[in-house]
Amino acid sequence: MFYINDTVCISPQNTFSDINIEILKESENNFLKALEPIYDGLPHNALRRMSKSVRIALGASLLLLERNTQTYEGIIIGSGNGSMEETGKFLDQLIEYNEGMLTPGNFVQSSPNAIAGQISLLTKNKNYNITHVHKGLAFENAMLDVAMLLKENPSNHYLMGGVDETSSYHYQLDDQEGWYKNETISNNHLYETGSEGSIAGEGAAMFILSNNKDNSLAKLQSFTTVHTSDKQVVKEKIQQFLSINLPPEEKIDLFISGENGDERLLKYYLSCENLLENEIASVRFKHMSGEYSTASAFALWLACNVLGRKISIPKHCFKNKTSEENYKNILIYNIYKGEQHSLMLVKELD
Amino acid sequence: MEKEELKEQLKGQIIKFLNLDKTTDQIKDDEPLFGEGLGLDSIDSLELIVLLQREYGIVIQDPKEGRKILVDVNTMADYILNFKGTQTL
Amino acid sequence: MGIISAIGHSVSENHNSLINNLSGISLSDNFPSKYSGILPLAKVSLTNEDLKEKLNITDAGITRTSLLAHYAFKKALNDANLSHQDLVSPKTALVGGTTVGGMSLTDELYRDSKGNGTDKTFLSSYDFASVFLSIQHHYKMMGIVNTINTACSSSANAIMYGCRLIKNGFANKVIVGGADSLSKFTINGFNALRILSNENCIPFDKNRKGLNLGEGAAFLVLEKEEDALNKKVYAEISGYYNSNDSFHPSSLSEQGDGPFLCMEGALKLAKLNPNQIDFINAHGTGTENNDESESRAMINLFKNVPDFASTKSYTGHTLGAASALEAVYSILNIKYQEVYKNIGFENAIEVTGLIPILSNKKTSINHVMSNSFGFGGNCTSLIFSKL
Repeated sequence: MFYINDTVCISPQNTFSDINIEILKESENNFLKALEPIYDGLPHNALRRMSKSVRIALGASLLLLERNTQTYEGIIIGSGNGSMEETGKFLDQLIEYNEGMLTPGNFVQSSPNAIAGQISLLTKNKNYNITHVHKGLAFENAMLDVAMLLKENPSNHYLMGGVDETSSYHYQLDDQEGWYKNETISNNHLYETGSEGSIAGEGAAMFILSNNKDNSLAKLQSFTTVHTSDKQVVKEKIQQFLSINLPPEEKIDLFISGENGDERLLKYYLSCENLLENEIASVRFKHMSGEYSTASAFALWLACNVLGRKISIPKHCFKNKTSEENYKNILIYNIYKGEQHSLMLVKELD
Repeated sequence: MEKEELKEQLKGQIIKFLNLDKTTDQIKDDEPLFGEGLGLDSIDSLELIVLLQREYGIVIQDPKEGRKILVDVNTMADYILNFKGTQTL
Repeated sequence: MGIISAIGHSVSENHNSLINNLSGISLSDNFPSKYSGILPLAKVSLTNEDLKEKLNITDAGITRTSLLAHYAFKKALNDANLSHQDLVSPKTALVGGTTVGGMSLTDELYRDSKGNGTDKTFLSSYDFASVFLSIQHHYKMMGIVNTINTACSSSANAIMYGCRLIKNGFANKVIVGGADSLSKFTINGFNALRILSNENCIPFDKNRKGLNLGEGAAFLVLEKEEDALNKKVYAEISGYYNSNDSFHPSSLSEQGDGPFLCMEGALKLAKLNPNQIDFINAHGTGTENNDESESRAMINLFKNVPDFASTKSYTGHTLGAASALEAVYSILNIKYQEVYKNIGFENAIEVTGLIPILSNKKTSINHVMSNSFGFGGNCTSLIFSKL
């Protein structure tokens, strides 16, 4: 358990500094591209070589650090793929020039640890620095790392985030594997198609985490992960999670679902919903973020802002009941590629 | 090619290759490429060595030797003209 | 523990090569790259078919990195006598480091990422996690599984993460390590950075010209002290620390700030003074930048630098697997109370004057420090101690 002091997100929606998510930005060719701000704090000399994943992580981190001036003792990033764009560009060179003289910039920037590395470089932070790359649970592993760091160092603060870009190279791989829609759709109708696949997305959601409740947005009470495609195993895991972490007198009042329009995955989400009370408010977020390895970070950003009373949930997110209640206990359930499942229980500050 | 024309071309190529946020008239002929001046780094020097090969056919095996050529646009242009000069012999 | 590298397909074969100072680096030309036969590489002498046969694995989409990982993993399981129950327990975790992952299939990745492939075999194998997910699936592991990529310190961070999972109660047993295979992608990447040597690498030598790439995998099985009471135990991981050099994306600061901080932090955690370290398995890649910065950091911290050597002149630089291989070698230092010469060294770097050990020797070894420094400034130090 720890507190989320603050969070900033760069995503395909207006989530950055002046948050406005009432209006839904539309996808193009089954792709929701992250909107990049003007990077005021970044020298162009540094920016020019950076991959998109590095830029958006830095952009989000710098705003976060501007708003929170305490020192932080580590940078922990979860990223499924790092920069496939830079990888792709290097591969293009390799093939085009037949392993001849190649420029090294793309190679250096292609590694996922370039994200945490650049944040360290630009903020001159020599502390703990790590990149978790376990695909759909990369963000959750980063969170677990911070949970342990806070147990080991209770008075520290940590900068943690989930970051992924979806380049054309990466899109091709996931598309051929069948994870995106065959037909071009609009994110406005993501959940209505009844077909397989979703749409691609990308984003950087960064957080400052600590054991310090003051001026926090929300409390991450607990989280868990499971790797399976067995619906029954997942159901039991969810039941166990809720019974351990939620006292009998409390209940989940908002369910944030990682439904992504892929009808093959609906069975898991419905199974989870059936475990919760009938009248519970249920919202979805992937029509805003698109699907990518660390999309659950977007969901956490959303939950924190809702619990911190910074934003209201837009109508377009609600699956069922629409209301403006002051939510207290949010359950986030996300699945990546049908096998990597995560659950987070996020609570309002008491 | 005349030296002035070459320098202008070179500046454009450097800007494009290194993705610099400048125009050609913002780079002085004698402005140091590394350290003060353009502020390029070791990765840039390797990239410029590749530029010299791809655009001018110049192969520089030792990056340290490369730094002697990559001082500013003047030295780069001189080297290229000298190289082309020896090529025609 | 389990290991596969260019110097052997088992712990005992690796040990034998170290004792006999036999390097696995060569100019043999049987790697599908223009640089094969031109740049020395340290290849594992088993083909993918050999590995699949030995492992009895027939999965279509399995990459060489995964095969090497499976091989070393299986060796580690057998050495630790882990049962099926142990592996499927929710309290048994797996943490691995890799930098190549499935990108060893460079040509296939190029083809598929352009949408030009018709073969779907490898589509889900290109990423980093695929290596350890492959192991998880094969053994039906139910505990925490994680993949870390911090370049050349990946498996050091995996080992450190595993220790912390146990310490914080998230696992009772953790299998930690790393794997990387030779790939056109990394050969060309490092060549573009001009840090590959066209000769066998000579770590810490004033005439060093760069590193040689290698491949391999290694795993350690970690447990809490109280759970290991009646079992064969090789060593204790008594210290670990992670810091960032925060200087440049692909080179270390002149004084080796990141290396200094992580070594200092590991000593503090282990509650050891610098003079208690008997031997350092250095990162020692053979590049101009690393070896000088690492030397300065060692001098700054230790004043009297202990015996040290790099084993990369045996195995090549195995990137994400390096720290895991070197963890095994550090444990061998402790088990056999011996250290192995830094092969190839002739003359010290002038500004530091440091000389690694020049011959094998039997000596009292209580504490070994193993260091790994990667791109992105990622620096990690581990300390292995005799029980």
